Amino acid sequence: MFMANCPNCGAAISFRSIDLPVRVCDYCHSSILRTGDALVSAGKVAEVPEDVSPLQIGVRGRDGARSFELIGRVRWRWTDGGWNEWLALFDDGSTGWIGEAMGRYMLLREVAATGLSGPVERGLQAGAQIILGTEAVIDGVQYRVTDVKEATCAGSEGELPFNTPPGFSMPSVDLMAADGHCASIQMDGGEVKLYAGRYVTLADMKATGLRAFEGWPMPRFAA
Amino acid sequence: MTAGPATTATSSVKALNCTNCGGTLSLRAAGYTVSMVCEHCGATLDTTDPELRVIAQATAAITRPPIALGTRGVLRGETWEVVGYLERSDGEDGWSEYLLFNPYRGYGWLVDDGRRFSYGFLLDSLPDMDGAQIVIDQGRGLDHDSGPYPVEVKFVVGEFYWRVAVGERVQVTDYVRPGTTVSCEENDSERTWSKLDLLEWGEAERAFGVEPRRPDSGAPSPAEPSPWRDRLTESWIIGAIAAVTLLIIAAMSSGTQRLASVDAQVGLDGAPRTVVIHGVEITGHPSAIRISAQSDQLDNDWIDLDYSLVDKRTQESFDAYGLAEHYSGSDSDGSWSEGDTRPKTRLSSIPPGTYDLVVELSAHRWVQNASTSFFGAQTGMVDPNPTLVPVTINVDRGGMFAGNVILALILILIWPGFVLWRHLAFEQRRRGSNDDDDDDDDDDDWDD
Repeated sequence: MFMANCPNCGAAISFRSIDLPVRVCDYCHSSILRTGDALVSAGKVAEVPEDVSPLQIGVRGRDGARSFELIGRVRWRWTDGGWNEWLALFDDGSTGWIGEAMGRYMLLREVAATGLSGPVERGLQAGAQIILGTEAVIDGVQYRVTDVKEATCAGSEGELPFNTPPGFSMPSVDLMAADGHCASIQMDGGEVKLYAGRYVTLADMKATGLRAFEGWPMPRFAA
Repeated sequence: MTAGPATTATSSVKALNCTNCGGTLSLRAAGYTVSMVCEHCGATLDTTDPELRVIAQATAAITRPPIALGTRGVLRGETWEVVGYLERSDGEDGWSEYLLFNPYRGYGWLVDDGRRFSYGFLLDSLPDMDGAQIVIDQGRGLDHDSGPYPVEVKFVVGEFYWRVAVGERVQVTDYVRPGTTVSCEENDSERTWSKLDLLEWGEAERAFGVEPRRPDSGAPSPAEPSPWRDRLTESWIIGAIAAVTLLIIAAMSSGTQRLASVDAQVGLDGAPRTVVIHGVEITGHPSAIRISAQSDQLDNDWIDLDYSLVDKRTQESFDAYGLAEHYSGSDSDGSWSEGDTRPKTRLSSIPPGTYDLVVELSAHRWVQNASTSFFGAQTGMVDPNPTLVPVTINVDRGGMFAGNVILALILILIWPGFVLWRHLAFEQRRRGSNDDDDDDDDDDDWDD
């Protein structure tokens, strides 16, 4: 971790990852882009609206033998709801995402877009609309599309791998497999980003440092 | 170093005012809740909009859910808060669904079919299709029960993680196994799978503090396991053990023990004879005593046998009677013979002790025409030099009364039979509650 000062407001900001290009200032909500040692303010981004997510930046957890810490979040909105994507920095320096929607968690890692095959891949190639139930194969696991929506960024915080300017939006496709595997495809401009992983619970992740809520007992694994 | 995660507890409830009526509302799942139906005026609010835009005005009079919004309860070890309430109908039957929320656990469902409560979640993985069955979590398969059939929201209040609306329709397909229903709900943009487990009677009522329901005889739901099923297995196992034990005891105790035996002779139409067998010992426990006589040389004769088993100590007497007889002849139908030359007489539950068996024998000839005989029962005359016939008398201990064994078997089988009857009656009601389902061929019997 290294420390710096926000080029916009001068507040102290920390970087836990040495690789990530974007840091949202905790105080003025400026998006700070890092190029080499230079920090440039790229304008303000929306503050994440208050919610009752038990996750927060600094929460630690495990994915099997690997431990991680949450260092960033993007709040996405679509016409009928919203969800959080938390950026997890693993102890080996790699990153992953924890998708949080409807009180459920998906632990996802980016996989090479070449790992995708099947009807969804052909549909994307042809620029066709992806419809519910379409099959896809990602790294040998068979999935079906369970959700297709246009996602708009509703706020962000912490360290991020991309900038989230106001109104930033992209199509998002969710997929599910029979064995608890899940995946997400996001189309940022012409670029297809593929994330695959599985549904997990906070207990599965042995999450600690969770937010405390009045009147709600902290789960045993997190206490 | 920056500070670690904040550890001070914040409130999970956010106070709002209804844009329509101004009433105070509690938003209990901020960030997850997409729409909220005001519990005061019934207007639907868009909670993803900072202005809390009114999406729909009230379409029905507000009813208070039996379990109030905001009620907390601990169900199967998990704390839940009731945040939403729906009434849905398939056109014939209606039911209620409570949306439960816990910030660390997400959402759960409490479904009330008016008779029993079920508890469930959305599935994290798609079920596997296995022929006519679906399989979840590598567990026992579920049979297709009904659907797809349309389900419509009839009433709604509280907050939900989707755009809830009265009149919202989905196509539902149900799969069942005892105690569990898995449902697929589908509309144009989404297909979700959920699993509901039937709760024990009173479980939900205790958790959320409402009046417990009493188990009744109403029509069970298709996934309801027979309450008699466990008892059925148990009662038949116990019944079988009892029956086998009874038969083993019967078989063992039918092995008799010879206590005494005497050979005697008695004169036909002669004076009655008295034979005494001294010192018949019955030790241990009260026993059945069998006295058997055997007189194979009878030919159109009979012997009356009066038995008295006298306790030497108390002079208490147990009396019984036997008749050895044999008759034969010929008539228009040919030759015939009848009669038992080896009569057996039983005395039950003779207490332990030392006994004398007093046997009074009197033998007679049987004659069809009394005038041809001078002596005999018919004339009352006693032949001073009668023909002697040998009689052997045996005294045996033990032996089971077949009638008693059968009676005991019937008693043993009363309870298993009753349980079986109740179980079958329940299963008939359970299936009857779904009698519009015509795919009976995959309606496998659950009593495997």
